[in-house]
Amino acid sequence: MKAKHIQHLYNRVGFGITPNELERLSNKNKREIIDEVFTNSSKTSPLKADISFLKDIKPGDLKIKEKRQELQKISRKKIQKFSISWMERILNPSEVFREKMTLFWANHFVSESRNNILFTQNYNNLLRENAFGNFRDFTKKISKDASMLGYLNNKQNRKKNPNENFARELMELFTLGQGNYTETDIKESARAFTGYSHNFRGKFLMRKRHHDENEKTFFKKTGNFNGDNIIDIILEQQQCARFISEKIYRFFVNENINKEHVAAMTAVFYKDYDIEKLMRFVLQSNWFYDDENIGTKIKSPMEFLAGIHQVIPYQFERPKQALLMQRLLGQTLLRPPNVAGWKTGRNWIDSNTMVRRLRLASILLNNAAITYSDTGDEETMLTNLTTKKLKRKTFIKTKTDWNAFEKNYKKIDNKGMISLIISSQINKGTAQMLSDNLDIPKKDFCVQLMSIPEYQLC
Amino acid sequence: MKRRDFLKQTTFASGMFFVPQFLKAFEQIPTKTFGNKKVVIIQLKGGNDGLNTVVPFRNDIYYQQRANIALQQTDLLKISDEIGLHKSLVDLQKLYDNGFLSIINNVGYPNPNLSHFRSTDIWQTASNSNEYLQNGWVGRYLDYTKANPTKAIEVDESLSLLLKGKTQNGLAVTDAKTLYNSLKEPFYKSVINANTDAHLNEHNLGYLYNTMIDAKSSAKYIFEKTKVKNASNNYPKNLFGKQLKTISQFINSGLDTQVFYAGLTGFDTHANQQNTQARLLKIYAESINTFVEDLQKNNNFDDVLILTFSEFGRRVKQNESKGTDHGTANNVFVIGKNLKKQGLYNNLPNLNDLDANGNLKHEIDFREIYATILDKWLQVDDAAILNKSFSKLKFV
Repeated sequence: MKAKHIQHLYNRVGFGITPNELERLSNKNKREIIDEVFTNSSKTSPLKADISFLKDIKPGDLKIKEKRQELQKISRKKIQKFSISWMERILNPSEVFREKMTLFWANHFVSESRNNILFTQNYNNLLRENAFGNFRDFTKKISKDASMLGYLNNKQNRKKNPNENFARELMELFTLGQGNYTETDIKESARAFTGYSHNFRGKFLMRKRHHDENEKTFFKKTGNFNGDNIIDIILEQQQCARFISEKIYRFFVNENINKEHVAAMTAVFYKDYDIEKLMRFVLQSNWFYDDENIGTKIKSPMEFLAGIHQVIPYQFERPKQALLMQRLLGQTLLRPPNVAGWKTGRNWIDSNTMVRRLRLASILLNNAAITYSDTGDEETMLTNLTTKKLKRKTFIKTKTDWNAFEKNYKKIDNKGMISLIISSQINKGTAQMLSDNLDIPKKDFCVQLMSIPEYQLC
Repeated sequence: MKRRDFLKQTTFASGMFFVPQFLKAFEQIPTKTFGNKKVVIIQLKGGNDGLNTVVPFRNDIYYQQRANIALQQTDLLKISDEIGLHKSLVDLQKLYDNGFLSIINNVGYPNPNLSHFRSTDIWQTASNSNEYLQNGWVGRYLDYTKANPTKAIEVDESLSLLLKGKTQNGLAVTDAKTLYNSLKEPFYKSVINANTDAHLNEHNLGYLYNTMIDAKSSAKYIFEKTKVKNASNNYPKNLFGKQLKTISQFINSGLDTQVFYAGLTGFDTHANQQNTQARLLKIYAESINTFVEDLQKNNNFDDVLILTFSEFGRRVKQNESKGTDHGTANNVFVIGKNLKKQGLYNNLPNLNDLDANGNLKHEIDFREIYATILDKWLQVDDAAILNKSFSKLKFV
């Protein structure tokens, strides 16, 4: 397989590739390489938070307001830590494709549990475990996940007083897309999800007396449907396979849909909703390696941060600065903007994030200063603003493993580094500028490559 | 290697000998304007308790429902025989007395959402409560006017949905100098100047180059235009005072920005509401009053309209912790010089007529306020920007 194509594959299923790995793989053919990608991600390593503080909690404790608030406060701190561990995982993944896929699902089945670390952890691992599983089972599990039951108010969905929030988003954002169902479909399916709830440990419970046992009519079928039945009926619509295929295409192939390619994906996916089969089909396709798909996608903040780490490993000395980076680049893990998730592609880039991205390599790798004002979030809403500093100038302190870089790029000269670091075409003027600078030290040249607009593409 | 030595040798300090031709075309800001009116939007974040802000002190239900936290007549700044402002709002009362304030009551939307984040999204995108829009109404104003990023500025580190459009985005600036300095390094100058054909490229790479060029020219424009003008020094020394000071400096130095956005956080008063709210309202009123005085001194107040909202109000009945829980409809303040309707725009909420959760029912859709501002103040097609036509109010 051509080096350029291996690089492209690894940019999309992971966060880049080291020169040694690239060399090792270049003797293999496409099928072997893709098989290896899947084999490497066949295991699931759950991400664990320290939840020992919940060990002795009894259901009654949560009814006491003070106790509940105290637990929520601890949970919020733990969730921040969990967000940092997730980022560390993304930077040092044991199963790289699975982690990439987890990021995809986190922006598809979008949920959030701000006050409960247990639910947050379980939800996050649910995404990871089902990343290559069966979409049908996955969707059903999501509908019963404690975090989701809270996030889209399905806990409050009762026979006497139905709440349509989950039913609506299930169809609009998770399975069919806008315009592919009626308001009646929403009302009827909401009734099927009534009574869904969970216990204080997050285990799913069906509250029978709140569940509507009467007949519902959904997509022209009538019966005493429950939530699982509704999901089965939704998946009978080919539109569901198309909707997911389009989303996969946008994330892994190209933001601009090619209808033919998506139609082929839909046909594969509709058969049994097997996510791994769909992904194998995509990566095996010749069109995946078309020039128009290489180096044309704008990296998400996580792809950007992990991409730099792949070349020059770094570590934040103060873990909280990892959160600061996430926030300043516009993707705070576990904090999606709303149920529609992060807007991707060009939406990642505005003047502010662009400036930060251009400067980030030098900030991360040279411990340079970054100025920002701490306007705080909800955590600080109740604290006294007057005691807070208005503006902070802080050094981002990282431990940078230049040795790893020296070792990995030992055989590569500055010129050779260009095609290893940049997958996009390079604007003429910038290319000229780079070629004028070929004699500067390798480290500096590398930081330079990571500071040009072309580096924002993968 | 010592860090200092290392820094010296890094990219930006080390030689970048490429001397490009200076391309002025990229750095110019077109001056297409749709008028010179400006709007300053302020969000009281967390959900301000409107009922304890503009208080119906003759209403028995109010005192029944809020045994511990109701404000007594003696503690209020009376603006009528029945209504008083929270005692922290001395400075706002001055504006009221001058006819610069219009209080619009019972503003909300159908099927209210009680989540801070979701309700903020709804206010920022001007969507229905069951509709998820990916752009804000100010962003769509930028789309409509094909404006530069400098046309809408958020005084914050990152850009809210409010200022993101389909094709254009506003700019988040806390400090023009920082933004300016961050792209001043010779390296970026070289990258920008070395790419003459970048603006012709419709692909993502072209978009990236254009955004970089935009960022640099915006930062340069703001920095150079504002560096001489200082704002009054009377602003309260807190984050919100600082934000308004920045906005006043921007307006008074003649920046072409038409919409500004700032926020004051901390209004989520579930417990021991009284002290917190008193402190925050004081910050709000003092800052706003200083801001208005500053604008007046520079003869700019005629062209500025200040809109203050909160993502929701709070429950009529207080909770057990001397606080209030998330509610629905709330009051909105409009501040300006030549208001068509000064003082109370409409009646205070009817506390006898609450929804199933014990919350106020809305009377005015918040988008009617936006529509009014867009149509009558900024003079653009409000229906095109709000995706729907709303009836107009009569405050401007």
